Amino acid sequence: MHRYKFVFYRPLQLLPVLFGISVITFILVRMIPGDPARVLLGTRATPTAIARIREQYGLDEPLWRQYFYFLENLAHGEMGKSTLYKIDVLKLVMTRIEPTLMLVLVSVILSILIAVPLSTIAARRQGRIADHAVRIVSTMGIGFPPFWLALMLIIFFSVRLDLFPVSGYGRDPLDKLWHLALPSLTIALSLSAVLTRSLRGAMVQALQSDVATAARARGMPEGIVFWRHVLPNSLVPTINLLAINIGWLIGGTVVVESVFAIPGMGQLLIRAIFSRDYMVVQGVAMVFACATVLINFMADVITVTLDPRIKL
Amino acid sequence: MSEPVLSIRDLVVRYHGVTPARTLIDKVSLDVGKGEILGLVGESGSGKSLLCRSVMGLLPSRALKIDAGSVMLDGRDLTAIDSAEMLHVRGRKIGMIFQNPSSHLDPVMKIGEQVAEGIRFHEGATREWARSEAIRILEQVGFPDPERQYDSYPHEFSGGMRQRAMIAAALSCRPEILIADEPTTALDVTIQAQILDLLMNLRDRLGLSVILITHDLGVVAQTCDRIAVMRDGQLVEHGEKRALLADPQHEYTRMLIGSHPSLPATGEDEEPVRAAIEKKKTGALLEVDDLHVEFDIGGSIFTGGRKTFKAVKGVSLQVMPGETIGIVGESGSGKSTLARAILGLNRIASGHVAFDGVDLAQQPAKALARLRRETAMVFQDPLNALNPRYTVGDTLREVLKHNGTPSAEIPGRIRELLDLVHLDHEFAGRKPRSMSGGQCQRAGIARALAVNPRLIIADECVAALDVTIQKQIVDLFAELKERMNLTLLFIAHDLAIVRNLCERMVVMYHGEIVEEGPTDLVFARPKQAYTADLLAAVPDIDPDRPLLAPRAARPPDAA
Repeated sequence: MHRYKFVFYRPLQLLPVLFGISVITFILVRMIPGDPARVLLGTRATPTAIARIREQYGLDEPLWRQYFYFLENLAHGEMGKSTLYKIDVLKLVMTRIEPTLMLVLVSVILSILIAVPLSTIAARRQGRIADHAVRIVSTMGIGFPPFWLALMLIIFFSVRLDLFPVSGYGRDPLDKLWHLALPSLTIALSLSAVLTRSLRGAMVQALQSDVATAARARGMPEGIVFWRHVLPNSLVPTINLLAINIGWLIGGTVVVESVFAIPGMGQLLIRAIFSRDYMVVQGVAMVFACATVLINFMADVITVTLDPRIKL
Repeated sequence: MSEPVLSIRDLVVRYHGVTPARTLIDKVSLDVGKGEILGLVGESGSGKSLLCRSVMGLLPSRALKIDAGSVMLDGRDLTAIDSAEMLHVRGRKIGMIFQNPSSHLDPVMKIGEQVAEGIRFHEGATREWARSEAIRILEQVGFPDPERQYDSYPHEFSGGMRQRAMIAAALSCRPEILIADEPTTALDVTIQAQILDLLMNLRDRLGLSVILITHDLGVVAQTCDRIAVMRDGQLVEHGEKRALLADPQHEYTRMLIGSHPSLPATGEDEEPVRAAIEKKKTGALLEVDDLHVEFDIGGSIFTGGRKTFKAVKGVSLQVMPGETIGIVGESGSGKSTLARAILGLNRIASGHVAFDGVDLAQQPAKALARLRRETAMVFQDPLNALNPRYTVGDTLREVLKHNGTPSAEIPGRIRELLDLVHLDHEFAGRKPRSMSGGQCQRAGIARALAVNPRLIIADECVAALDVTIQKQIVDLFAELKERMNLTLLFIAHDLAIVRNLCERMVVMYHGEIVEEGPTDLVFARPKQAYTADLLAAVPDIDPDRPLLAPRAARPPDAA
């Protein structure tokens, strides 16, 4: 099983990545015009009050020392204190991570459930009406902006048919899923369009490949040719595309969370940016970065499992 | 011939993508007898593969249709039965193997499963029974440790073993007929001999009928009972092997036999070879001294240690002006790496390459400038080596311009070059896509000649071409060598071509030169057992000069 050796040493590569991200977000956040103390105290704050707040949060220290404190906190499992919420950023993130995680998870599952059957139908009926329909729908899915899709879904499913809630996030698991239905459908419609295009292309190629011809020459019926030879050989590029898209999605939930008023990381990030809550922006960026790295790591494990030729 | 198991009668296959439909198989009638090996010979585009695909009901495009004729097997007409019934013919009655086992085996499925798959589907066998049956078949086709190798993936095997795996998968349901479509074309000669031997052996043991599609008359002469020759979709001639080879009736068959490189060169060709040997012994044009080339393979900061693969290990070679040297060896022997290192395309680990007295390692800038100006390379795949957006004229103009030919002289030079390689002047305006493989290779040679090279390196430049075209290109090289006093390094795995073209040859094995000398001498009295095995594995067109008992070529003694 030496092909899976990378599972042990790949996490080590996370360290330099995280270090780089922490430096970049630290500097970028502080380059945004505006002062957290001033935002916190409002427009009529006295200079002394502002100075006191700046001192309290260590904002008067030189940048390098602020970064040093940040690293020191991180070593203790803390990400600094939010100027807005007055609690540790890590704790704050923990309260907001679940809705976002659920949203991404449900969206991805939904996308796969849409993309795999559609690609299969299109590829096996290549050049016929079903294929053209799938290709038109997936092109449209890529073309429509998510916020517009979200509004259309709300108008149709919530306002007209009154099937799903307009916004918010539920309490018990089932209620939560019910609330997530439209938001995740919004994401899945765009994401599955991208996946379908890639998967259909790979399947069309694999159906015409020498591997498929050889299987047919052994007398295998089309069903076996497809499920045992074509599908496994077309998955790898799509898995990697999915991983890239999930990385993008984690940051991209901001729009959907805003439209559906889901109390997740995206909302947290937007409020933090407007109130110049440096620590929160930093913390959320770090969490997003970790998640992206983790997703790609998982994609690598799946790829190695699917294709015995690949060594990492 | 014994009772036919398969008879094809007046089969017509047309391509309906154009109007009027183009006829690709034109009234072909052919019988395959029980237990016989039928050689189906013809050049690319002759319809030999398509004929077999039609028999299998596996036409590569929906626009292709069987318009007339019948294919009778067991009293049934295969062109008339439905696709469900056809599933039980494929695999159970007729098995098929292909030219390129690397692309036809599923890379993500264990080879054993690919063999067992058919058994499970066709015979409704349990997983365990199919496995034990697959292991038995793997053993039958020569896997030394089938129990363990069942669970291996195709990429873990060499080309020869992959072809054996494909044969095992094709034979898994004990078909009566095996169609082998160029099964050895992608393999080294010694491996080819083993696979051919395996096919004959299986025929004897299982009473299999084999249709062997090939372009190599040597392979046919060594293995087949009967030969059928196809051209432009028509069967031009067929008959018993010896009769057909000894007394071909059709002119095209005669041309095919005449083009086969294993025939001894005619007296006419030998004259310039002698002359060339006499005019050398001046000063070496190219000197390679103790050359080593290494490639990094893997190794990382975590697993530690730099790993290298030694592709060329201490090769020394002198090339005199006007000399033609053949470099032969099996795939992986380092012959192409050597050529690339000579041209400065691969980094040299140690040793020297000196071109016309200038050392490549000591004066890299100067030597490279001279090398690139005064040498040229001709590549294996003529179509991919030419820029698809350039006409032949553009390609030549680019080289000429770069070489400082005055603009006014360029059109004249282009015509001269086209004349040299026997291409019509109108080819200056054509793009590679609209040209045949042979014409592309002529354009590639014209491009090489455009720099007025003192040395041409040809890397497997005829391997992708049909035999008759091969002969034309080899003849062209022979003529150019004579007319322009070219120095030629000719890399090939085909020993027969080297024999006809080169005066001196070098045999490489695992990155080392194991034998070198005048070609005639090496062929007549090889010093190394390895060379002898290599020569013996070349299928001769004379059926009475059989392949020596095939085996892996013996590794050479320490040189």
